Amino acid sequence: MEKQITFTTAPIDIPPAVLPSREIGACVEFQGIVRELERGQALAGLQYEAHESMARRHLERIFDELCAAHPCAAVVFIHRLGWVPVGEASLFVRVLSAHRGEGLRFLADAIDRMKADVPIWKCAR
Amino acid sequence: MQVKLLAFAQARDQLGWSERVVECEPTETPRGILARIAPAAPVEMWRVAVDEEYHSWDDAIGSAREIALIPPVSGG
Repeated sequence: MEKQITFTTAPIDIPPAVLPSREIGACVEFQGIVRELERGQALAGLQYEAHESMARRHLERIFDELCAAHPCAAVVFIHRLGWVPVGEASLFVRVLSAHRGEGLRFLADAIDRMKADVPIWKCAR
Repeated sequence: MQVKLLAFAQARDQLGWSERVVECEPTETPRGILARIAPAAPVEMWRVAVDEEYHSWDDAIGSAREIALIPPVSGG
């Protein structure tokens, strides 16, 4: 599986999808957007931070484990760090697979695993 | 041996530092080290990682180079 993991302090620039083979039948994408209301409180944005090298190591492992369960060809993962204003994306994930089922399950499980175990934090400001 | 301690997010806010170097023994545990340098730290609220792998608070650190204090994560 091809894995691209990027942390950036700049607005997420969604890369064009590059198909690694002619067997790709599904391209599943997700963007997480910073919302104005967080627990009823109006925000201007969120401040993100990470233990970047540890996060990268754990994401790689999570993606490998998920690929064994839901075979996919490629994943692109981009997470913003620093200040992210309301309305902008903090997260972009793209999964390429032969069939939609594997891609959708991989994507959902990857985000769940990230939210449980990957050392990335948001702080309301 | 010298071990780098990292504190992130709420852990950094509560401890008042993000990084420091501490003299440790391989037989010490993360709980013991933190009790020595920050006895009020709410370790039950946090996880701990040794050399970028999650680790028990009560297992010896061995030849660790880095201990990271990991409050509840919230990426995405």
